[in-house]
Amino acid sequence: MNGLRNLVDRPWARWALGAVIAIILLVLPLSATEFTNQTITRIAVFAVAVLGLNIVMGYTGQVSLGHIFFVGVGAYCAIIPIRALWGGSIAEGAIVIGFALAIIIPGIVGLIVALAAVRLRGLALAMITIALPIIGVPIAKRFSDITGGNEGVSVRRLDYVASDGQTYKGNPFSAPAWSGLADDQWQYYLVMIIAAALFGLAFFLVRGKYGRAFAIVKANESVAASMGISPYRYKVLAFTIASMYGGAAGFLYIVALQYTSSETLSFGHSIELVIATIVGGAGSIVGSILGGAVYVLVPQITNAISPESTTVVQGIVILLVLFLLPGGLASLPRVLARRFRRARGGHNVDSSNSTEPAIENTENTKH
Amino acid sequence: MNSFGTFVQLVVDGLAQGSIYAALALAIVLVHQATGLINFAQGGMAVLGSYIGMTVGNLVVPVNLILGVLVGVIVAVAASFAIGAFIERFVMRRFQGGEEDTKVVATIGLLTLITGAIGMIWGFNFIPYPFFFNTSTSFTVAGIAISLWSLTTFLTIVALMAVLQLLFTKTKMGLGLRAVADNPGSSALSGIRVGRMLMVGWGLAAALGTIAGILLAAKAQLNPGNFDAILVYALAAVIIGGLSSPIGAVVAALGIAVLENLAGTFLPWIGHDLKIAVPFVLLFVILLLRPQGLFGRKSVVRV
Amino acid sequence: MLLEVSGITAAYGSVQVIENVSLSVGEGAAVGILGANGAGKTTTLRAISGTVRVPSGTITFKGQDIRGKRPEEVAALGISHVPEGRGTLPNLTVEENLRVGAYLRKDRSGIETDIAFILELFPNLKRRFTSNGSALSGGEQQMMAIGRAFLAKPTLLVLDEPSLGLAPSTAKDVYAAISRLRLETGIAMLVVEQNANLAFSVVDTAVVLETGRSVLSGSTAELRGNDEIRRAYLGG
Repeated sequence: MNGLRNLVDRPWARWALGAVIAIILLVLPLSATEFTNQTITRIAVFAVAVLGLNIVMGYTGQVSLGHIFFVGVGAYCAIIPIRALWGGSIAEGAIVIGFALAIIIPGIVGLIVALAAVRLRGLALAMITIALPIIGVPIAKRFSDITGGNEGVSVRRLDYVASDGQTYKGNPFSAPAWSGLADDQWQYYLVMIIAAALFGLAFFLVRGKYGRAFAIVKANESVAASMGISPYRYKVLAFTIASMYGGAAGFLYIVALQYTSSETLSFGHSIELVIATIVGGAGSIVGSILGGAVYVLVPQITNAISPESTTVVQGIVILLVLFLLPGGLASLPRVLARRFRRARGGHNVDSSNSTEPAIENTENTKH
Repeated sequence: MNSFGTFVQLVVDGLAQGSIYAALALAIVLVHQATGLINFAQGGMAVLGSYIGMTVGNLVVPVNLILGVLVGVIVAVAASFAIGAFIERFVMRRFQGGEEDTKVVATIGLLTLITGAIGMIWGFNFIPYPFFFNTSTSFTVAGIAISLWSLTTFLTIVALMAVLQLLFTKTKMGLGLRAVADNPGSSALSGIRVGRMLMVGWGLAAALGTIAGILLAAKAQLNPGNFDAILVYALAAVIIGGLSSPIGAVVAALGIAVLENLAGTFLPWIGHDLKIAVPFVLLFVILLLRPQGLFGRKSVVRV
Repeated sequence: MLLEVSGITAAYGSVQVIENVSLSVGEGAAVGILGANGAGKTTTLRAISGTVRVPSGTITFKGQDIRGKRPEEVAALGISHVPEGRGTLPNLTVEENLRVGAYLRKDRSGIETDIAFILELFPNLKRRFTSNGSALSGGEQQMMAIGRAFLAKPTLLVLDEPSLGLAPSTAKDVYAAISRLRLETGIAMLVVEQNANLAFSVVDTAVVLETGRSVLSGSTAELRGNDEIRRAYLGG
C-alpha cells in the first residue's frame, strides 16, 4: 500500500489523475443517459455552492448556516431578467445580464449581512445566517408576482419574439442547432465550463495572499490582528465572495433546471448544504466537489430506497463523519494511508488514543 | 372592537408567543453557559419531547382528558430531560474542547437527525395535541377579549422561570450548575462532578424547551418543523439580550414577539407572513449602528 | 505515609513535562516543592489531583492507588488543590465560592463554623463576602482559593505558588495565614513555591525538581546548608 500512498502524495500523480477525470467528464455526456448527465450537471451546480460555503466556513472558519439563501437569490436574479428580456431586442444578452445580476446582487446582500453579523464575535454569524432561509421563503412568497411564489418561475417554455417579429415558444437553455448537442449535453457543458472556471478562480484565491489571510484569521484572530490583518475585513470579504459563489451557483441552477421556486432556498436545503460541505471535506477544493455529490446523491439514493428516511440518513451521516472522519471524504485517502502505514509498522500504534476527553484537562495546558 | 382593545389583545398574544420564544432562548442560554456552545438542535429536541407527550397522553386521554394531558406532559418532560442528558454525554462531550464550528455542525446534525426521526415515526402532517382546554377559548375583561391559551402560556413560562431562578440560587444543585458553568476545572477540584452537571444542564434545557413545545403544539398542532422558525426568534433574542444574560434574553424574546405582532397588524405591508423579518431587520440596524453589541456582555443577572 | 508519589511521568500531548518524580508527605506534615520555571512543579501537583494524565509511576493516598482517578474523585478522597491562577469562580460571590469548596460536605453546622474560621483568618474576605469573585484583588482571590480548598475539610492541602503575582507584603500575609491554618488544624500540606524563603516559613521538608526529575530532598535545615540550593533558591 506504500505505493498507493506515495502516489497520493506526488503532485504529478494528482495532476495526472485530475487530467484523466477531466477527459472522462468531457467525453462522458456524449454517451451517457440523459438522467446521468442531468445528475452530474446538478452535482456541478451544487459543488459551486459548496465551494462558496467552503470559502467562508472551511477556509475562514466562520459558520454560515444560510448559504442556500444566496443560491436561491442568485437563481431568482438570473431567471427573472432572462424571462423578461430573452429573445427580444437583446436576444442572448439576457443570459449574460442574468449571470451578472446573479453574482452582483447576492454579493451586495452578502456584504450587507456580513457587515452587520461579523461585528459580533463567535457564533453570531451562525445564529444570524440561520435566519436567512427562514426569512427568505416568506419574502419570496410575498413577491409572488415576480418570483412565482410556491409555483415558482420557469423559462422552459418561454414566449419570445424572434427577429421575424413572430412570437415563438422556446427555452433559452436548449442546445443551439450549430452545436449538434442534445439539451442535456449542452446544459452539461455550459455548467461544467462555468463551474470549472469558478473552481479555478477559487483555487488561486485560497492559495494566494487572501487565502493565507483567511487561514490566519481562522487560526487565531488576535494573531491576525497583530500581523496587520483585520479579522473583520477579511471575514466580510470571505462572506461576500462566498455569497457571490452562491449566486453563481444559483445561475447554474437555472441553466440546469430552467426553473426555481421558494423551495430552492428553504431551511432544510440550507442545512443539507452545510452537511454536504462537512461530509465532503471542509477547507478543501476536492471536498467541495465531493460535497456537491453528497448534496445531490444522498437524497437521490435515499429517495429511491425510502423517501421518509432521507433526513434521518443525513443526520446519521454527518454525525458519523464528525465522529470518525472529521476531515470529511476528502481526507479519506490520507487517513487510509496512515492506517495502512500504522498497521505495517505494528509497534508504532499510538497507545494514547483515549476516546474519553477529560473536560478538566482542557482548561489550561500550561505547566 | 376599538383599536385600543386590539392593541391590548396583540400585546397579550405577543407576550404568550414571546414566552415560547423566551423559553427556548433561555434553554439556549442555559446550555451555552454550561458548555459554551449554541445548541441549534434545541428546538428540534423540544418538538421531539412534545411528540412523546402527545403519544403518551393520547393513551390515557380516552380514560380522562385532564389526567391524560397531565401524564403526557410529565412523561414528555422526564423523557426530554433524559434525552438532553444522553445527548450531552454521548454526543456533545466528544466535541468538548474542539473547534467551535465542529460543535455547531454537530448540533445541526442532531437537529437533522431528530427532525428526520420524528418524520419517520410520526409523519410530516400536522397532528392535534390533546390539551386541558380548547385553545380557541377566550374571555372578556373590560370589553377586551383575552385568549385563555395566551394567558396560560405566559403564566406557565413565567412560573417556570421563577422555579429555575430558585433552583439556581437556592439549591446545592444550582450552585453546582453555576460553578461548573463558571469554571469547570476549579469546580472539579472542589469535588463537583463536572460531567454530571453538564448532563443536568442539558437535561433541564431540554425539559424547558419541551414545555414550550407542548404549549405551542396545543394551539398550532404538532409538526416536525414546529420550532424551525421559533429557533430563529430565540436566537435573535439571545443575540439582542446577550448570551450571558438569561434575563436579557427573556426580555428580548418578549419584546420581539410583541413588536412583530404589532407590526404584523398595524403595518399592513408586513402582514402575518413577513413579520418574522421584523426582529432581524431590527437586529441588523442595531448591529450596524452599535458595533460593540447591544446589552452588556458581562451581566451579573442569572436565572 | 499519607501521600506517596513514586517515579511518575506526565506529558501534555507529546511534550513530556515530568520524567521521574518521587516524593512523600506524612500525616500532618508540610512538604515544599522547589524548582526553576518549567521544572515540572505545577505538573506534579496536577498529576496528584488528576488533572493531567500520568502514564507511569504510582501515586498512593491513604494507602489507596489514586493514579488515573478523575479530579472529582481525588477531591472526594480528601485532597484539596489550590490551582495555579487560583481557580476563581468569577461570577459567583465570595460566599458562593467558599460554599463550592464545601460541595461534598453534609455537616451544615461544620460548614458554617469553617466559613466563620476562614473569615476570621482572612478579614478581607469578610468585607467582600457578597462581592463577585471577579471583583477581588489578586491577594483576595488567593485567600478565597485557600478558603475554598480548606472548606472541603481535606486531609491534604495542595497549594500551587500562593505568592504568585502578589505584592511582597501580601505574599507574606498569605503565608502567615497558611502557617496559622497548619498550626490550628494540623492539615498536611504540599506547597509549590518559587520563593523558597516563603515556603520554608511553612514546610518542614522540601523536594527539589530539575527538568522533570526530583533530584534532592531533605529537611529545610539540610537544604539551607546546601550551597547550591542556597544559591539557586534562597537568594545567596
